This record gives sequence, structure tokens and C-alpha cells, in this order.
Amino acid sequence: MSNFQVLNLEYGACVEALSEALRGGDETAFFAAVDHIVRMREPQTLTEVRRLTGDLQKALERFGIESRLADFAENEIPDAKTRLAHVIRMTDEAAHRTLDLVEQSGPLAERCAREAAVLIDSLKAHREHAAGTGGIESGVRSLVAFLPVVRALEAFLPTVRADSEQIRRNLADVLLAQGYQDLTGQIIRSVIKLVEELEEALASLTKLSGDVVEHATLGENPDKGHGPVVPGVTRGDLAAGQTDVDELLSGLGM
Amino acid sequence: MSKELKFLVVDDFSTMRRIIKNLLHDLGYPNVAEADDGTTALPMLQAGGIDFLITDWNMPGMPGLELIKAVRADSKLAKMPVLMLTAEAKREQIVEAAQAGVNGYVIKPFTAETLKEKLDKILGAVK
Repeated sequence: MSNFQVLNLEYGACVEALSEALRGGDETAFFAAVDHIVRMREPQTLTEVRRLTGDLQKALERFGIESRLADFAENEIPDAKTRLAHVIRMTDEAAHRTLDLVEQSGPLAERCAREAAVLIDSLKAHREHAAGTGGIESGVRSLVAFLPVVRALEAFLPTVRADSEQIRRNLADVLLAQGYQDLTGQIIRSVIKLVEELEEALASLTKLSGDVVEHATLGENPDKGHGPVVPGVTRGDLAAGQTDVDELLSGLGM
Repeated sequence: MSKELKFLVVDDFSTMRRIIKNLLHDLGYPNVAEADDGTTALPMLQAGGIDFLITDWNMPGMPGLELIKAVRADSKLAKMPVLMLTAEAKREQIVEAAQAGVNGYVIKPFTAETLKEKLDKILGAVK
């Protein structure tokens, strides 16, 4: 049955009644027929209005989410990138500062140990020598022979004091350099919050469009590597530690 | 092989290069060159004079695995001892690195002892 035939079946009788009333000049019958036609159309009109209202509401919501997303794209994401780059810079600076101080302190500690070892040997040699001799004359000789050791000790002790003080200062600076963690932690936390908001906006948008979105995977190139293992995020068969790696490799004949 | 060995340390983070350089120095290998990815490292290796390669995996530009493949494909460098020092910990990756021809694989974070042990082992085998 064609569309028009359906319309003819539904409305034919009413239209007939309407033209009958018109021809006969029957005002009451005329308006009754008009009312009947309007009532017949009402449900469809209401459905249509409801659909339009729904669409309008969705469009408004969508507009709200989309303008929020536009704001993310224009301002907050670039800001977050700058903030994260700053985190890398801060951690880099702190690590280099720490390495500088460690590299400065190492030779100082080494010098102390080296010079102390020389002195220990001299003292030991002197004691052994003194133990094997007797008499006043040899006592005086022993004392004279001891003088260079005393001088070396006199030179050594101020150096040890200065070096130890420098090492102590360096350690205090190493301690201070760790302050970056507080600052970078705060910045990273703010970026996590932004990612959460972005996640919410995207989820609402997906819900509005009602489309089932296929799970998309980021284009990964395994040759590039996946980066450090992140607990709860990194999936796959992971080596638990160096022992695990060694076992795996020895299993491969390495 | 003597302690006069020249190392090339390839890592995109300068702090990690410094840490490795310091550890090598403490182990008695003061001769260390640095590169920040495979693209910079390969010409340095091809120029000659490097005896040992230590490389990270995940780097912008040419990643470590590609560098190792390039080294093994170059007849002059094919026998170069290579230690991979990386945060990549997937078993399939370790197998892949072994197939590409690494002589050792150390995962980050690592200890000075682990580095020493692997270097000694590789150098002992090369000797």
C-alpha cells in the first residue's frame, strides 16, 4: 500500500465530512470535522516537538562540552605541556646539581683516604723501627726520624678538616637539591587533574553521540621501546628484575 | 683487553650518561664518549676508536635496538661488545635484543655491582 493510500484511509472520511459540512453550510459540523483532524495529528506533532526539544538539549549539551574541549585544546593542554617540560627541566637540573656535588666530593674523600694511608704506613714503619732499638742515643735518633712524620701529620690534619667541611657542605646542598620533588609533584598533580577533566568531557561526548567507539590503540612502534614499567599501567609479560633477565638470557644460551 | 678501553655511552638523558660515566670511571675506565641517540652514535662508532658500546633502548631519533642492528650489520663494527642498559622490561623485548645481538642486558634502575658484573662477563668472553 502506498503512502498516499494510507493517508486516504486515515483521513478520507474526515475530509469527506469536512467538505460535506462546507457544502451544506453546517458550521458546527465543519468545526467538529476540523477538531477531529487536529486531534488525529496531535500525537505525531507532540512526538515531533519532543524529538526537537531533545535534539536541541543534546545540541546545547554538546555545545557546552565542545566549548570546554576547545578550551582544553587551545589553552590547558598547551599549558600542561609547558608545565611537564618544566618538570623535566627541574628534575634535570636537580640531578645535575647532585652529580656536580658528588663529583666534587669524591676526590676530596679519596685524597683524605690516600694521605691517611701514607701516614699510617709511616707511623707503622717508625713504630717497628723504634721497637727494635734501645739506649738514649738510639732514642734521640728515633725522635729525629719521627719529626718528618709529625710534620706530615701537621700538614695533613688541616687538609682533612677543610676537606671534611667541604664534603659536609656538599652533602647539605645535595639534601637541598632534592627539594625539586615537592614542586614537580605539585605540577604533575595539576596535570593529572586536567587529564581527569578531559577524560570526563570525552566520556560525556561519547555518551551523547551514543556511538559505540571501538577501542583505539595508540600507534606503537615496538622498535622504539615502551619506556619504564609503570605499575598498574604497563601490560604484558614483564621481567621481574635483573635476576629474571639473566635467567631469560641464559635460557637463550647467553 | 686493557683498562684503556674506550666506551661509548648512548642515552637521551644527560644525567643517566653522567651516572654511567661516573660508574665507569670508578671501575677504572676513564675513557668515555657520549651520544644522545643512535643517529649521533652511529657516525661516532663508524669513525673508529670505540671498543665498547653501552646503549639505552627508548630514545628519540634512532632507538637503541635499531642502533644495535646497524652495528651488527656493519662489517667493521659487527664484533663490537654491546651492553643494553634500559628500562624496557618486557620479556619479548629482551628476547628481541638478544636476537639483535646484544652481549648483555641490564634493566634500569640498576646497581654499580650489576654493571660491573656484566662488563666483566662481556670483557671476559671477548678476551
